[in-house]
Amino acid sequence: MGAGRFAGRFLLPGGIWLLFFFAFPLGIVLAISLGTTDDLGNALYGWFPENYSRVFDPVFAPVLARSVGYAVATVALCLLIGYPVAYYIARFGGRHKHALIALVVVPTFVNYLVRTYAWVAILSDEGLANGIARDIGLTTDGIQFINTPGAVIGGLVYGYVAFMVLPVYGALDRMDPALIEAGKDLYGSDWSTFWHVTWPTTFQGVLAGTVLVFLPAVGDFVSAQLLGGPDTFMVGNLIQQQFFGAENWPFGAALTTVMMLFLMVWMVFYLRSAARAAREGSAAAV
Amino acid sequence: MTDPFARPMRRREVLRAGAGAALGLSGLGALTGCGVSRNQGASTQATEKVVKAQPDGDLVYFNWSEYLDPELIDAFEKRYSVRVRESNFDSMQGMMAKLRAGNRYDLIFPSSEWADRLVGANQLLRIDQEQLTNFGSQIYSPFRSPWYDPGAKYTIPYALYATGLIYRADKLDSMTGSWNDLKNADAKNRTYLLDDFQEAIGAGNLVNGFGLNSVDEAQVKKSEQWLLGVKPNLRGISTDDITNMTSGNAWIHHGWNGDVVNIRNQVEKPENYKFVKAKEGIPLGTDTFAIPANAPHPGTALTFINFILEPENLAKNVAYFGYPMPYDGAKSAFEDLVKDDPEINVTTDDLESGQQYKNLGRDGTRLWDETWTDFKAA
Repeated sequence: MGAGRFAGRFLLPGGIWLLFFFAFPLGIVLAISLGTTDDLGNALYGWFPENYSRVFDPVFAPVLARSVGYAVATVALCLLIGYPVAYYIARFGGRHKHALIALVVVPTFVNYLVRTYAWVAILSDEGLANGIARDIGLTTDGIQFINTPGAVIGGLVYGYVAFMVLPVYGALDRMDPALIEAGKDLYGSDWSTFWHVTWPTTFQGVLAGTVLVFLPAVGDFVSAQLLGGPDTFMVGNLIQQQFFGAENWPFGAALTTVMMLFLMVWMVFYLRSAARAAREGSAAAV
Repeated sequence: MTDPFARPMRRREVLRAGAGAALGLSGLGALTGCGVSRNQGASTQATEKVVKAQPDGDLVYFNWSEYLDPELIDAFEKRYSVRVRESNFDSMQGMMAKLRAGNRYDLIFPSSEWADRLVGANQLLRIDQEQLTNFGSQIYSPFRSPWYDPGAKYTIPYALYATGLIYRADKLDSMTGSWNDLKNADAKNRTYLLDDFQEAIGAGNLVNGFGLNSVDEAQVKKSEQWLLGVKPNLRGISTDDITNMTSGNAWIHHGWNGDVVNIRNQVEKPENYKFVKAKEGIPLGTDTFAIPANAPHPGTALTFINFILEPENLAKNVAYFGYPMPYDGAKSAFEDLVKDDPEINVTTDDLESGQQYKNLGRDGTRLWDETWTDFKAA
């Protein structure tokens, strides 16, 4: 009992933080999502559930499908790039491990928006990438990199790949290397040892990375805004436009609310899976 | 040496994403500070108080960045021994968000349709024209009583802009001088539409022969269809016409006249960059000086407006920012600037024949905004 009260005190600062900076603003978003605007574009409270029915207008279905598609592609590419990087650092990084991880993390200290602008300069028609392509004779007319779906997905991968590397690295680093040796001792090939030993052991890290990349990627608007074209409009752009272009905060808030509910489904799925894995892990240890 | 265009000018090439991200971070403050509160509701009394054009403190100045010659600001500070505390917005919506949040400014620069909305909500201080000795003698006559502010009681015109098509004369010989050039197959994937719901739907209305400000649902629907017909030709939807043209990505850009002056000062062969006013008609816009009703130093603001309106200062300012100002003192400076290409000019004739964006009212704005959102989502 005493211990419980003591622990409770530790929860207080975080609890207050969450109350004021999460629950309270979220309540405002919910309230505005049912509101309307005055002539000056100010949001007004009210009861206008039609904001929500507009969210389900079929015109927005391709936007949602596109966002999910881009986010899935981003997760897949982040995994393909991030897993080998994390594997190399964890297994062969040696005393440079921390420096190598820092190299992955440090670029994310620079604002994502600024880094995306750098890509605009690199990928534009007269940019660095096209200059190199011309110099090595790959093209004479230039290649259109920017304003394409590929550029948007590339921007997302670049922006969020560190969120895949870190949890996978954590899982690999925690993994006992003796497990791999044991797999090989049992005549497992490199591949089958990886598939039957390393991958299942680090799967929770992969899942964590997947969630950490998918959630921001599906709601991102910067990449599509700067690197995209007329056909790469994502949910994030749709929401951003309601707040800063259209002055339609109520519809923007309704979109945000529906988006959060949609993402919560994924979050719950992940948390249950992680909890189950933890239970099984402790059961196996016994 | 004193090339007034040595510095890049940024007016309407709005980095919306940047604004969005920055505002996104401060969204919390915005949500709690404004949005649903009505703390700014000024009374009629507050807007009608009499203010003299005498400095009454430092000037809190809120404008587009690089949209007024900084040397004039320095000169004003010296002459009147006051400081100008400058901050910038990068969209009208951004300006409104700051006003809603309760920030107090002495001088703001709303464009006409926003000025109309602000006047309607009693947000602007009544300006006594008698205080502005440089106004009455120089102003173009249509602006003595502009549509957005009959009698020019609450705003003073600052600059004019026209929306048309910027294009590369060295790449294209198939321009027809119509909004339909946005569908020009020779510029497929080299064409940009302005990321601005007013400008896009306005162009659609004009090409269809409707009134610029039509809020008739069937007509706006038709304009949306026209925009959807343009979409396959587009490389992007962007307000950054200067960067898109100078980078070579764009051959045709829906854009603003003053930006052409800027583009030409950045490229090697300025003669290749042309501006055309579409034959179906073009929108003309006015940016204004306005003093919020809750301005802490309205006397300094009036003094500043009158200072800018001195003929030699007008000429200097026009040479700096590339947009015409509707005053006699600015006329020759601007004509000088665009003597190679009169298309860039906005004349009083244009103003009489052209169409200007109006305040569409809440339902009209909502219709346009929803149409634009649907167009982008499609």
